[in-house]
Amino acid sequence: MKPISLHGHDRAITCIRYNREGDLLFSSAKDHLPNVWYAINGERLGTFGGKNDRDRNSHSGAVWCLDVDWETKNFLSGAADNSVRLWDVCTGKMLNCIETKSAVRTCGFSFSGNLAAFTSDKQMGHPCIINVMDVRDFQADKPVMQVVIPDKGPKVTSLVWSGIEEQIITGHDNGDLAQWDVKSSQKTNIVSDHSKTVTDIQMSKDNSMFISSSKDTTAKLFDTDTLECMKTYKTERPVNSASIAPKFDHVVLGGGQEAMDVTTTSTRIGKFDARFFHLVFEEEFARVKGHFGPINSVQFNPEGTGYASGGEDGYVRLHTFDPTYFSFQFEC
Amino acid sequence: MPEPREMTSSNWDEENEPADASLPMPSEKMVGKDTKIVTTYSLNDEDKRVKHVRTYKIERKLVSKAVAQRKSLAKFGESADDRPGPDPATTIVAEEISMQFVANKEESEKDNEDKSALDVLKEKSKGVVKCRICKEDHWTTNCPYKETLGPLRDSLAGKDVDKEDDAGGSGLPGGPGATASASNVTSGGKYIPPSRRGGEGGARDRIGESMPDRRKNEDTYAIRVSNVSANALETDLQELFKPFGNIARIFLAKDRNTGECKGFAFINYYKKEDAARAISTVNRLGYDNLILNVEWAKPSGT
Repeated sequence: MKPISLHGHDRAITCIRYNREGDLLFSSAKDHLPNVWYAINGERLGTFGGKNDRDRNSHSGAVWCLDVDWETKNFLSGAADNSVRLWDVCTGKMLNCIETKSAVRTCGFSFSGNLAAFTSDKQMGHPCIINVMDVRDFQADKPVMQVVIPDKGPKVTSLVWSGIEEQIITGHDNGDLAQWDVKSSQKTNIVSDHSKTVTDIQMSKDNSMFISSSKDTTAKLFDTDTLECMKTYKTERPVNSASIAPKFDHVVLGGGQEAMDVTTTSTRIGKFDARFFHLVFEEEFARVKGHFGPINSVQFNPEGTGYASGGEDGYVRLHTFDPTYFSFQFEC
Repeated sequence: MPEPREMTSSNWDEENEPADASLPMPSEKMVGKDTKIVTTYSLNDEDKRVKHVRTYKIERKLVSKAVAQRKSLAKFGESADDRPGPDPATTIVAEEISMQFVANKEESEKDNEDKSALDVLKEKSKGVVKCRICKEDHWTTNCPYKETLGPLRDSLAGKDVDKEDDAGGSGLPGGPGATASASNVTSGGKYIPPSRRGGEGGARDRIGESMPDRRKNEDTYAIRVSNVSANALETDLQELFKPFGNIARIFLAKDRNTGECKGFAFINYYKKEDAARAISTVNRLGYDNLILNVEWAKPSGT
């Protein structure tokens, strides 16, 4: 295959997401402007914010997280400049902005796109807070739900909505996964299968299960309702992101050496390939090379015909699978 | 239905032409139904006109209404000024790569297991096993310095044997020499040429052997002479360096084909003082319109 390399960022990629149809790909990096691309040919549709309106209407810090709603109408991005911003996808205009006390680490739209959750870091004496806002009335003083993680508690490092508007699942920096009920603001379940920071959580296509990746060098498959750990995919390096294929029983894992250790290892040793595992048998069956830094974010496109990965090297790579992938039979 | 622009820009080339004030207009040409060739011109850093030819394959695809509408969106932000189609500055077709299917799953796994088993063994053997070469806690055969330190140690052992033999009388079976040689056999594990072998006959043979050079070199003091004239001969050097003391050996590097001097030589003196005197006197001496450079020779192999 011939991947398309997207050079829209000049810092390490932090997050990439397809919209529901898979025609647009959103990417954010440690530079200040999230980008949106046509997934079909890699053409850049635009950037959210720009050099001209840098001060008021664009981020001024590393963008840590992004999400796009079901209709590809609104786009949400949270950054280290202590703000979470809501954008219109079609025009790239900023619709709203909420200032927080500390850096925004994770964000996500609910199923309908009417609710948005985001979490802020434990930083400079401010606690880690999980917020849920109504997108139609996006104001800091009107949260639908607000949970303050106690000072000693683990901070939230990843977040995903589950169910239909009812629950959010958060991954924490001690490896815990917690399930929250939005209406009652209560923690309904907590598991600690991972031993280190949960770096990413992604839902399967039908939301019945999700995959979590962790710095403990594994990715795990969980049941969405019960948080029962069903499968474990083991590697020998920190996993920064994992995604479940919509078409086959496959998962893809992206990761690699810690970014701070990269300069001391060669690309061969660093193991920066995207690795494909069988969902059920937990066995690796393929690898794809390409990045020369750890992969920070991977996602299958919603049709399952390819995947995208964003790395510490600042590039987003759009892959379209060869026929060999579709004809591949897993032997067990 | 708006058509998605599928880019498969596989073949593009550049042609350098002399600078021209006016650049030709970019042109688009359709070849057949689904191939488009776009030719654009630009000036490069040296004001040369560069012609870019990009070949696009057009794929037509049925998409949902929402997606089709999004295809016709106006670009915004930093991309607001971009022309339709992928901008080569931000969108680059990367090199062809292939998905590597992991065929021998069991084998690779086994490798890992072996490794971990080895690690376990290493953990266990810590403090128990001691390398005879570098005294670290691993087996002698696994010593990373086996290649470098091993032979050195062997030769040292050989010398010891030599001395011991001299002292205790030769030919006594089961004497110290025998034990030393036994240790040599076990420590090596790899083939050692007879001339290098320390034990038994090797060391004793060496005394009577007509290979005195090595031993001579060991007790002599070598100096290195460089910037020697190409016409110099060994006899010339002999004349030059003889006055300082007895010379053990003269080596003049010569080109294998022409026989001409390569420009440097080694002189071995029996006495260190002689060598030092030679260095202090001959260094910086003009010789056949070149200025000689004389210094202590560095030990070979380093």
